[in-house]
Amino acid sequence: MKHFKILFPILVLAACTKDISSYNEQTKKPANVPAATLFSNAVRNISDGLANASVNVNVFRFTVKHWAMATYQDEAQYDFTVRAIPDAWWARMYRDVLNDLDESSRLIEASSTLDEDVKANQLAQSDLMQVFTYSILVNTFGNVPYSQALDNSILFPTYDDAAAIYSDLLARVTSDISRLNPSAAGFSSTQDLVCQGNINKWIAFANSLKIRLAMTIADVDNSAAKAAVESSAGNAISSADENAMITYLDASPNTNPLYADIVLGGRNDYLAAEDLMNQLINKTDPRKTKYFGPNNDGGYAGGVVGKVNTASEMSKPSSIVSAANAPYLFLDYSETEFYLAEAIERGYNVGGTAASHYANAIKASIRYWGGTEDEANSYLARTDVNYATATGNWKQKIGLQKWIALYNRPYEAWTELRRFDYPVLSLPVGAVSGFPNRLTYPANEQQTNGGSYTQAAAAIGGDKVETKLFWDVN
Amino acid sequence: MRKLLLIMGFIMSLSFLNAQKLTITGKVTDLSGAAIAGATIKEKGTSNGTTAANDGSFTITVSEGAFLVISAIGFTEQEFEAKSGLNAVLQAENKLLDEVVVTALGIKRNKNSLPYAAQQVNGEDVSRIRTGNAAAALSGKVSGLEIRQGNSIGGSTNIVIRGSKSLTGNNQALFVVDGVPVDNTINNSSNQQRGAGGYDYGNAAADINPDDIETINVLKGAAATALYGSRAANGVVMITTKTAKRGLGITVNSGVTIGTIDKSTFPKYQKEYGAGYETVYQKDGFFYFDVDGDGEKDLVVPTSEDASFGAKFNPDLMVYHWDAFDPASPNYKKARPWVAAQNSPETFYETGVSTNNSIMLDAAGDKTTVKLGYTRNDETGVLPNSRVTKNIVNFGLSYKVTQRLTASASVNYSKIDGKGRYGTGYSGLNVNQSFRQWYQTNVDLQEQKEAYFRNLQNVTWNWKDPSTEVGTVPIYFDNYYWTRYKNFETDTRTRTFGNVSLNYKVTDWLSLLGRVSVDNYTELQEERRAVGSQGVAFYSRFDRTYNETNFDLIANFDKNITEDLNLKALAGVNLRKNALSSVYAATNGGLVVADLYAISNSLGTVSAPTEAYQPKRVDGYFGGLTLGYRNYLTLDATIRRDRSSTLPENNNAYNYYAVSGSWLFSTHLKNASWLSSGKIRLNYATVGNDAPWGSVKDAYDFINPFGGALLYSLPGTQNNSALLPEKTKSKEIGLELAFFKSRLGFDATYYITNTVNQIIPVAVSTATGYSSKYLNAGEVQNKGIELSMYGTPVKTRDFSWTVNVNWTRNRNMVVALYDTSKNLQLATSQGGVSINASLGQPYGTIQGRAINTLNGQPLVNDNGTYSTTSTTTNVIGNVNPKWIGGIYNTFRYKNLSLGFLIDVRKGGELFSLDMFYEQYTGILPESAGLNDLGNPKRNSLEDGGGVILPGVTADGKPNTVRIATNTYSIPVSEYIYDAGYVKLRELTLTYSFPAAMIAKTKVFKGIDLSFIGRNLWIIHKNMKYSDPEETLSAGNVQGIQSGAYPTTRYFGCNLKLKF
Repeated sequence: MKHFKILFPILVLAACTKDISSYNEQTKKPANVPAATLFSNAVRNISDGLANASVNVNVFRFTVKHWAMATYQDEAQYDFTVRAIPDAWWARMYRDVLNDLDESSRLIEASSTLDEDVKANQLAQSDLMQVFTYSILVNTFGNVPYSQALDNSILFPTYDDAAAIYSDLLARVTSDISRLNPSAAGFSSTQDLVCQGNINKWIAFANSLKIRLAMTIADVDNSAAKAAVESSAGNAISSADENAMITYLDASPNTNPLYADIVLGGRNDYLAAEDLMNQLINKTDPRKTKYFGPNNDGGYAGGVVGKVNTASEMSKPSSIVSAANAPYLFLDYSETEFYLAEAIERGYNVGGTAASHYANAIKASIRYWGGTEDEANSYLARTDVNYATATGNWKQKIGLQKWIALYNRPYEAWTELRRFDYPVLSLPVGAVSGFPNRLTYPANEQQTNGGSYTQAAAAIGGDKVETKLFWDVN
Repeated sequence: MRKLLLIMGFIMSLSFLNAQKLTITGKVTDLSGAAIAGATIKEKGTSNGTTAANDGSFTITVSEGAFLVISAIGFTEQEFEAKSGLNAVLQAENKLLDEVVVTALGIKRNKNSLPYAAQQVNGEDVSRIRTGNAAAALSGKVSGLEIRQGNSIGGSTNIVIRGSKSLTGNNQALFVVDGVPVDNTINNSSNQQRGAGGYDYGNAAADINPDDIETINVLKGAAATALYGSRAANGVVMITTKTAKRGLGITVNSGVTIGTIDKSTFPKYQKEYGAGYETVYQKDGFFYFDVDGDGEKDLVVPTSEDASFGAKFNPDLMVYHWDAFDPASPNYKKARPWVAAQNSPETFYETGVSTNNSIMLDAAGDKTTVKLGYTRNDETGVLPNSRVTKNIVNFGLSYKVTQRLTASASVNYSKIDGKGRYGTGYSGLNVNQSFRQWYQTNVDLQEQKEAYFRNLQNVTWNWKDPSTEVGTVPIYFDNYYWTRYKNFETDTRTRTFGNVSLNYKVTDWLSLLGRVSVDNYTELQEERRAVGSQGVAFYSRFDRTYNETNFDLIANFDKNITEDLNLKALAGVNLRKNALSSVYAATNGGLVVADLYAISNSLGTVSAPTEAYQPKRVDGYFGGLTLGYRNYLTLDATIRRDRSSTLPENNNAYNYYAVSGSWLFSTHLKNASWLSSGKIRLNYATVGNDAPWGSVKDAYDFINPFGGALLYSLPGTQNNSALLPEKTKSKEIGLELAFFKSRLGFDATYYITNTVNQIIPVAVSTATGYSSKYLNAGEVQNKGIELSMYGTPVKTRDFSWTVNVNWTRNRNMVVALYDTSKNLQLATSQGGVSINASLGQPYGTIQGRAINTLNGQPLVNDNGTYSTTSTTTNVIGNVNPKWIGGIYNTFRYKNLSLGFLIDVRKGGELFSLDMFYEQYTGILPESAGLNDLGNPKRNSLEDGGGVILPGVTADGKPNTVRIATNTYSIPVSEYIYDAGYVKLRELTLTYSFPAAMIAKTKVFKGIDLSFIGRNLWIIHKNMKYSDPEETLSAGNVQGIQSGAYPTTRYFGCNLKLKF
């Protein structure tokens, strides 16, 4: 009996139990945050991806032959797999952008304190960025998860038909436009990195976005495209003041990614490609000195994409491009005017002439890059530039000028290059594939979501970079 | 009554006689009656002693009634009553079955009755080699234990018992010192572990003083470790520290070791071609501009090109090298011949020196035992400006308060200071990134050294653009001496662990132990890059504090129920609280003042420091029962219940148990005299495990604000509030046999371990918005065979030869993942290579791009290059060895003993990023020389150069297209290497001064002089230019070599004095 005394302390210890789950609480991270913080973070992440020149993130500058590499040629030769670029691009869009936007929308929706008009504006703003992002995903890969994406309960979503996604995106933009109310606020001016809280600018952005989406599918669904473009042409971005863009800051870590890469990283091997440089030189383009800096001899020259180039002989990205506070344009006036020029040529009723919109677009681009009105006019007066006298059909004329104007927006340039199939660019030296019309699906999808992946690959006509997307028919 | 008085009188007379001295003579023999020469005879409790003569005889003067302690090499120490004519018969040591081993919770048991695998190593076996790292010194000495250590100074040691069980969790063995769990977390960053740069800060098992280790017992299976709880599912390395022997003992060790690199593990450089990726550039493979100001253009080495596929060397050709642009150089604006470097990067390595001094003091009286030890280890590495200093103090005290109550305390304090640890992986801070991957064979390393030391400036060979003033800065690589002397890290770790305990013997069959143990360390890691280096200058500091407190209360019961049946039982409670707390802060955008390393010296606004606080509590209740029947049957059962705070509240408790049995069947075979002993054992055990901290509830990640905009993000991994505990199930059968008076014996074990229902971040489609989600999923199976063997092939009076062999074969398989998720990526490396847990494959597959094949032959494109897969998910290698083993031989001749360990690893593969990039840069001799036509392969195709890649074209015919050597790439699958090796791991030659001679000194009890060698010779390997054992860090990510360090061979000597 006396030995029970010994067991007593053990029982006491055993009994002195309490709730221990508090040990597992996060005390250094919040469980609740304002919806706007997620929205802003998503906007910044999409911009970082589009603006980047890191060979691990965004290598389209070589794909569209705006840039060449001095030494290391893998990415310039279309090797996207070694650095798992499809995985990085896909994960950025879904995980780093869409998931935060979706969460932001969820929190706004759930808010009981938010004014209904403000709520409607914020939901539209968040939704517009989601549409913007989904369009990038579709234009990069083809069919992608959409209806089952971002759903906590579905870990391995199926892929949706790319065309069906596009028509839903168009419907969403239309609904977002109708929800935007300029008399109420949206996200605050500090949290709204795109339009600084200006709802009118959001309306212009939304209409330009709708035009972009519509024009992208014009070759496969002309009537839908026509209706959409005509409904939005009057309300789209109509001046450079309405450009939708993010302006980076002077101090790291919020500088333009190119500043971190080129200036802080001390890179010397990003060079002008001869393909773009020759266009700039031959047409005495005022943007030449804005796009690129001189080589060591003070001249301008471009390197051969895919081949070793001597850096000191070549032009490099200009200090405008690599400035810490250089902006990234999501959608601008120049691009909108190019769309409108194209719309006229396609027989859409948007007002003006193809030539006037074309001239507006080029002039807007030159002015944006710091060229003067005179420089723009004399450039436009050139017979090889002027819409009336430049060679080629409308696709070739607009295609070439848009390819030049979309400098430093490599993903957009790649999309437009695929749409216009002009200018015709030769394959880089040592190309490991044909011209990439898309990126292959991420390795991670193949390994985790194999069933859906296989179906999608078959549905789009094979998971190869050469496979053309549904809108890429003419 | 008269009788009683008589007896009392007798006793009194005995005690009277006690005080007298008497001289006795005797003889020491073995069981067969053969004399044991040189046996040590000591009067117990004194320093009085002598040694036996060649015929085994001895004479000694002792106090009346004294006891003699007689010992000899190869025999069990024994006590005898001191009486004249004593014939002391010593039993040969039976290493296998007579050993008393320390099992879980410090319970001592006879190995005869142990129903599970446990292998004991003496402290001497790990301290002899003077590495300062007891864990690393276990390599090859224990079966079932895989040790892997890289060549970095003070680096971490990978210690895995019976294979990796957890897909993403910790797979390292638990360290327990005197019953106290000692944290051995690998604190290297995940980027460091995958080869993205950083330092290997070592793991904390290195904080244990090797000189204080009495024994190390490795408990391999779950049945042996279940009482320690979840953390012990990976096996336990149980360390028992020295306890004081009666009287005063002082041991002093003093040694010095030097380290030099093994040149067979470092590249050779071709001497035919120099800088460049091609032979064009501006003129003939050179830059071409006026250097000396004579208005004529000059040939300049293309300094920005970090490769050696350039112009052919030509001693008659004068060109401007990198030093022509260094105003301090005698070659400033001077041309030099275009020749290969005299001094290759091999000459960058220095001779490392380490000194090791320790003093251990122990004393014991009737009631008190005390020990005090101090060890200091100073090591300078083979890289310039590298040093790790270790100071360890340990103290132990026990006091018998009453006959029944013993109080004891022990404390171990260590301080480890590092400076200039080797940079690792793919980083400019690792000089091998350049030496092995991106180098110009025309660069003379010693000239780089002179250039740096002339003005302590960053004079690199790798000028960005030497034609301009602003371009005369490093483009990729700094001067290596600048890297080592300016961009060094510093670190310090201070640790205290120890315990206080009370042991109360309630009755002769019941005792009670109460213990509080504490393990606490703080660590500071400072990293820096100086102003003037390539890249943004920075300073960062990482402060980490870990503390753990365990409260134990254990009741032990030991009673013979009947004459034949013994019952041992225990019941206990263990409350564990631990917390990890850390802060990481770094400068942003550069440094304002050069060489000032403070966060406040940041050029840009400092980002918010990253903080972590992860407290945890586990309450454990356990019980055990051991039934012994007539010393030959043993049945063990243990049960434990844990409640862990890291699991969801409603599912946070779990039970697990173990059942084991053993049968010492040799007791029934007394007639078989050749069989000394034989035992069979069998057990089954389960161990539950909890979740990683913070995997239950979701929280947002803080992102640095964008100007005024505040940013938060959802994390990449989704948590799960419905997690259940995970479980490891293990089965084991073992056989232990000893023959011929235990001259030969072995211990064989077969085990199967399944870890099921694992809590892992399952890789999901990122279209979910997450990369992974915590789920109960996945199963890993390990099954294997462990074999330990020992023998004494030769044993004579003066000479003996003993052999110990350990052999392990583990087969590992990822049996299940989750749903359609077929792969779990553990890490990605450069070159599109990843390390993975792939369904149906061993844990640790290497994946990457491969060559397409046709009829089993490599497929070659029409243009002569390899046709490669578009995917990078092909399994191209497996990191697991086929088997590992060690053979330890000891030869003793009189007082001289020679021991050497041969460590073998058969199979297992690794990816060498070094060799992969070398193909781009043409550094190695293989990239130059002649082709199949007998022409220089680097000649242009027109001049008969180029190579034909072996393989077939699409039509199935052998490839005949010749291609230039610097224009093709070979996929990563061709850079997988066999990681097997045979190494002469340890060599020790020890001379023990004869006891008789020592006795005359009256000061010493023993003097040993040893010569030591470690990693002296890689007897066999299949990988050129590198050490197949080299690894970036301990941890789950193995199989990547990136900027690999060469093996360091250590030679040294040590003097051990016992007082």
